[in-house]
Amino acid sequence: MATHMAEPAAGGTEASTEHLTLEDRIWLLRAMLLMRGLEERAMTLYRQGKVPGSFYDGYGQEAVSAGAAFAMAPEDRLCILHRDLAAHIIRGVTPERILAQYMGRAAGITAGRDGNVHFGDRNLGCVGMVSMLPDMMLIATGMAMAFKLRGEPRCALTWFGDGSTSRGDFHEAMNWAGVQKLPVVFVLENNQYAYSTPLDKQFAVDPVERAAAYGFAGVTVDGNDAEAMFEATRAARERAIGGGGPTLIEAVTMRMHGHAAHDDMKYVPKEQVEEWRKRDPVDRQEKRLGDLGVDIEALRAEVRAEIDAAAETALSSPMPDPADVVEGVFCDGDAEPLGDGVARWSGFASRAVA
Amino acid sequence: MATLTYLQAISAALRDELRADERVLMMGEDIGVFGGAFKVTDGFIDEFGPDRVMDTPLAESGIIGTAIGAAVVGMRPVCEMQFADFISCGFDQLVNVAGKMHYRQGLAVPITVRLPSGGGFSGGPFHSQNPEAWFMHSPGIKVVAPSTAEDAKGLLHAAIRDPNPVCFMEHKHLYRRIKGEVPEGVFETPMKARVARSGDELVVIAYGAMVHTALEATEDIDGASIEVLDLRSLVPLDSDAILDSVARCSKVVIVDEANQMCAAGAQVAALIAEKGFEDLDGPVIRVATPDVPIPFSPPLEQAVLPSVERVKEACRDLLAY
Amino acid sequence: MTSSRTEAALVDVTMPQMGVSVAEGTVVAWRVEVGDRIGADQPICDISTDKIDTEVPAPVDGVVAEILVAIDETVTVGTVLARIAVGSGSAGEAAPTSAPVAPAATAAAATAPVTDAPESGATNGARNGAAGTAPVAGDLRRYSPVVQRIAAEHGIDLSQVQGTGRGGRVRKQDVLAFVEDGGAAGAAPAVEEPPLHIESPYRPDPVPAAAPAAAPAAAIQGGQLSRMRRQIGEHMKRSLETAATCTTWIEVDMSRVEAARKRLGVTGLAFVSRAVIDALREHPALNATMEGEQYEVHHDVNLGIAVSLGDDGLIVPVIHGAHELSVEGLAARVKDLARRARSRELKPDEVRGGTFTITNPGQYGSIMATPIINQPQVAILDFEAVIKRPVVVTDADGNDSIAIRPITILGLSWDHRALDGALSAQFLGTVKRHLEGAVGG
Repeated sequence: MATHMAEPAAGGTEASTEHLTLEDRIWLLRAMLLMRGLEERAMTLYRQGKVPGSFYDGYGQEAVSAGAAFAMAPEDRLCILHRDLAAHIIRGVTPERILAQYMGRAAGITAGRDGNVHFGDRNLGCVGMVSMLPDMMLIATGMAMAFKLRGEPRCALTWFGDGSTSRGDFHEAMNWAGVQKLPVVFVLENNQYAYSTPLDKQFAVDPVERAAAYGFAGVTVDGNDAEAMFEATRAARERAIGGGGPTLIEAVTMRMHGHAAHDDMKYVPKEQVEEWRKRDPVDRQEKRLGDLGVDIEALRAEVRAEIDAAAETALSSPMPDPADVVEGVFCDGDAEPLGDGVARWSGFASRAVA
Repeated sequence: MATLTYLQAISAALRDELRADERVLMMGEDIGVFGGAFKVTDGFIDEFGPDRVMDTPLAESGIIGTAIGAAVVGMRPVCEMQFADFISCGFDQLVNVAGKMHYRQGLAVPITVRLPSGGGFSGGPFHSQNPEAWFMHSPGIKVVAPSTAEDAKGLLHAAIRDPNPVCFMEHKHLYRRIKGEVPEGVFETPMKARVARSGDELVVIAYGAMVHTALEATEDIDGASIEVLDLRSLVPLDSDAILDSVARCSKVVIVDEANQMCAAGAQVAALIAEKGFEDLDGPVIRVATPDVPIPFSPPLEQAVLPSVERVKEACRDLLAY
Repeated sequence: MTSSRTEAALVDVTMPQMGVSVAEGTVVAWRVEVGDRIGADQPICDISTDKIDTEVPAPVDGVVAEILVAIDETVTVGTVLARIAVGSGSAGEAAPTSAPVAPAATAAAATAPVTDAPESGATNGARNGAAGTAPVAGDLRRYSPVVQRIAAEHGIDLSQVQGTGRGGRVRKQDVLAFVEDGGAAGAAPAVEEPPLHIESPYRPDPVPAAAPAAAPAAAIQGGQLSRMRRQIGEHMKRSLETAATCTTWIEVDMSRVEAARKRLGVTGLAFVSRAVIDALREHPALNATMEGEQYEVHHDVNLGIAVSLGDDGLIVPVIHGAHELSVEGLAARVKDLARRARSRELKPDEVRGGTFTITNPGQYGSIMATPIINQPQVAILDFEAVIKRPVVVTDADGNDSIAIRPITILGLSWDHRALDGALSAQFLGTVKRHLEGAVGG
């Protein structure tokens, strides 16, 4: 990747934080820009009738997945939620496969078997979400259980929303992870609404406070700050690998679009949206890096070109063959576990491992 | 060869797998220190330790869900539901997560879920069910149901070594009632039907405990030559074996201990209607539990579970047809 | 009879003769039950013969006193099917419905398998329709799939098989025992044709490939042959076994027919029919029937026209007194008979008594065939497509040139037992002469 410096950063040390180099920080922005750009393009394709089914996006929440995923090492495992596209991007899923996925094409990650962001590239250490939220909390817990049983310094991470905290699986996973002190990071993506249901109809006590009741740490983070998300996740991962057990991170953010494309969000006060617009995570990271002399426009142009090319490729890619539709229900070879992948997704984690 | 009870055969399979493959672990409620509600894992914790014979929280969704997580990172978890009935609490994880994973993203979920099932001992509405059809109806899950000690061991080995989620229906009523010669060591029983007794005038198709009911009922019905087909596996369902028996016998009685509606036997009957029609010499008769919860009091329970007498009567009737 | 009233006279309803060669018929449905009142000419039952499926009308007003032949039973022509009580007896007195009077009717009641409404599980297994349910009248002799299949494979008439199942039902072992005992009549060697059951749509396994053209007509579709198909098959086979069939062809220039038929708005078939009638008048030896040693030339031309019923088979309605009809009259009769044949409205008289038959599958473009003689007739004419061909024509001065003419090939299958080749050729020549000189009317 090119370094997008308008001019060499003066001194260089101010451009790095304790755990992030300038290049890492640009990666974070790049992942968020790709997420936003890809979702916007997918929304356009949706309106053009190219995307079947429903369409969900994570506009305004890019920092949550970008920051958290960036703190995970290749050998860690992720269970990714539907407003967390940046996590897939950071793990190395290419834009054309993402757009093909939205459009139900054969080249999509699930080859048309599942839609929108219901995917995980098993070669890149990711499990695709199921819609029964937060089922993935237990999957991540089970992964962490295996790591612990085998004595491996690895960590599992999963995202889930504020609505999920009402379900039994939230309790079962939190309890299980607490009882067994497992290396797992739970990222509660508090975006204020579960579909149309606001927080005050969802819980009486802020879920982050429940972490203590399960015997582990809970922290609240500004979910619109990618670097803050990164830092909180990095610390949680360190604790997990060091045997300190799970962490619940409550990432406070705002769902800026409706639940899905059909949802006009009329149940959300306009002022609330406007208030959160001022705290846009992409703007924030752009400003941060712009102040350090990074050429934001050049980065944006590069991302835009990448998305254009990806859309062209995806649009010309074939639909899946219905002849194969009953294939693959069962595995008839060896059960291959999730792979690490080879993408250079996290400057931090790569160095931390190296 | 050793003579083992059905229960001992299951224990032996689990022990053999724990010894043979360090990826295998047992998960369940009260299976470690206590050795399990039915003592299937009695003494295991001493040999394999509490990590591999894991006493879990009382959380069936948690057991299945964490097993899936462990499986996709390389483990071979064997989950025990204390009673098959409780799988309803883990249904979502099994059906929506495990069953669909490979189809959606090519990720195998090699977990085995042991389901102590069946009635006959006043277990009442929550400890007597046969929920296998729930999972037959859910793509991506295999379902096996042994009737003999040998098959219990061989099918459990096959289930644990299978790269897919497998529901292992172990019938509680057979645990200590059934004994048989079981080969030593690891052997995998194919997930195919077995002719428990061959005949050519009528076939009784059954699985699990009902195989024994069928054998007893048809031991001698006026000297008629009656075949008993033990399905052993419900998913995959051995269509070839079923249709072979139908072609040979032309009269069919299907016995289900499960509630009748949409039970495994209904699928067998549908298969015969579709593909064995030309071989039929009479209506396909089903003997099953009516669609009521399994009652507690002995006379009530005996009134609903398929009995030797009911099977006998159905066979007599159909033979005379 | 339970009635002691002697005033009530009984009138027999018998199996009608449905064609010159028809020897037997099968009852396929009863429209009445014992005790029902019926008016003269009202249908009392449906029968099937190898010529036609039809209703049998009641000969008199009265009350059905006895039903003597069960459904699916095949009986010879003249057999009494039922008896109708006429005279002073009321319905109840003549034949109380509670007491079936004939053994066959009793058997029907006892044998009928019943499709039962589903019951709750506890009792369903033990109380399936196999036992203990009310009989349904008229369901005697319903056979299970496997029994029908075995019977079809071995050419068995199931009415001959003694049933040992409940109420005399024929079971698989009964039909197998019948086969063992040599009861199967002239079963074809199993290797010649695959058994019917593998043709069932329920068996998706591919059948060993046979050239499509070589596949027998009946094998194209899966499943048990329909009654009509079986009867056609038996009839055709019998014809080939009976007659010494030869086929002779002649080419006919249809130019004049084509011109005339356009003018008159009728089909070519009507012209061919008329030409055949004229030729039969000149060569009456072909307007004949032959049964055993008996060869009989007929005065009237009763012309059979084969009508396709689509997948179900075909039927040959007969135009009685066809020699009295003009081309237009023939065309109208053909049209009417074909329509009613397809809507199964033909009367028994309209399919019997034929003296000569024309078959006309030419609408599909085929040009030649070797038709099978419609027994007991002695000849059949096949009229196929009319196709434009280059032909040599000779003008009045004897000059040859090539012209485009609508040509057809007429094929005559004839029975060498009754006729010789020369006569057949002369007959065809006469037909040709009439067609080539046709002006209509």
